[in-house]
Amino acid sequence: MSDGKHVRAEELELYALGGLPEEDAAALKAHVAGCGECAMKLAQAQGSAALLAFAARQERPAGTIKAELMARIHADHETGERFAWPLTAEAPGRIEAPRRTGTGSGPRSRGWNWVLASAAVALVALSVILWLQNRKLAAEVRRERQSAELLVQEQREIQKLVRILAAPDTLTVKLTGTESAAGASGVVKYNGRMGILVYSAELPALPADKNYQLWLMPVDGAPISAGQLRPGDLAVENLWTSQVRVNTTPKEFVVTVEPSHGTSQPSGRRVLIGAN
Amino acid sequence: MKLPSITRTTTSDASLLERIGGKDEEAFSALYDRYSRLVFSEAKRILHRTGEAEEILQDVFYQLWETADRFEAEEGSLAGWMLVATRNRAITKLRRQSWLADVPDENGVAFKLGVESQASQNMLIEKVRGALENLPKASRTLLEQVYFEGASCAEVAAKTGEPLETVRRRIAGAMQELKKVSL
Repeated sequence: MSDGKHVRAEELELYALGGLPEEDAAALKAHVAGCGECAMKLAQAQGSAALLAFAARQERPAGTIKAELMARIHADHETGERFAWPLTAEAPGRIEAPRRTGTGSGPRSRGWNWVLASAAVALVALSVILWLQNRKLAAEVRRERQSAELLVQEQREIQKLVRILAAPDTLTVKLTGTESAAGASGVVKYNGRMGILVYSAELPALPADKNYQLWLMPVDGAPISAGQLRPGDLAVENLWTSQVRVNTTPKEFVVTVEPSHGTSQPSGRRVLIGAN
Repeated sequence: MKLPSITRTTTSDASLLERIGGKDEEAFSALYDRYSRLVFSEAKRILHRTGEAEEILQDVFYQLWETADRFEAEEGSLAGWMLVATRNRAITKLRRQSWLADVPDENGVAFKLGVESQASQNMLIEKVRGALENLPKASRTLLEQVYFEGASCAEVAAKTGEPLETVRRRIAGAMQELKKVSL
């Protein structure tokens, strides 16, 4: 595993990626725990591995998730107690719910114990029923909150959209289909001050491994990706929005066909083009 | 419609962490807004299930709330820690591999890229996707199997029929290319 006394960089990277078998990982972990130099290199390897997270398709969580979390930390903060959280049993660093420990009160008669045992069973049954009801109600509340949150969010987005479209310094550029997409068309509304694009396009369907990508071609410098036209990003008819660097002066806007995960520079065929 | 925020970020992670250490809920809310998309997207990419990804998201942020005062926040280190913690928790859930559940300590991830604004996050997303796209397809698939599916090199080698050393070499080469994104 190591050259002399330190772990090789390649091993540290594999560990950070999770690619080592369990026994090798355990040996490496034990070494790193006592070696400052390897711990520092492992931190760097962890940082490099974390770059891969940026390859994931970006999605925002539902607003209710934040609301639940904020409510929990607020209650936590107010009461000074910790909730049994995280809820996942296998998660590390789990914070145990406060437990009460009984102190005992001496021997009791057998009859008294029987009464207490029956009462305990009844209480457990009642607790289970209440817990099930509570769970059902909580799920309903959560669904309702989610719907309300989505409506509010959509309303805000539409208001923002209207502000951008109505701004006097917003440019309108019409996109026309190239030879390879003669019937296609589109329009881009671009506000350089805000660095925001709103665009719409009528384009033919593509195979699953391809996607359309919009590019802002600046007067100076390399093309700037303004994002992909993914069906999953649609919310208001055929309108997309994207953010680019502010105060970029566009020469033209181009839509190309690219691999489904997108590219950093245009490489596929052009289907729409429009000059400023 | 996903309309990216146009608000410029002015408060650093370090400053927010300091306030969260003092149990400032507003600062916590701001940090959630900053990184919840990245954390949730990573968890969802691994687990493919929204509910479980949401649980991971809450777990990671709750841990942050509890341990914020332990961070020696340098720029980006917090983001790196969150992403590694998310990945390890998600893979643990996916594969029931308890050893992967080791979340690095709060200063155990050196991630020096500034991703405190939405725009900088978007730029890095583009860069990483571009770097992966430029890799040979086999290498890209290897990285994805290891990072997002939690497969060990030995498992990948057994699955593809390639020698273990070849798999390891490819991963090392692919990581070298990916790291150029940070330069």
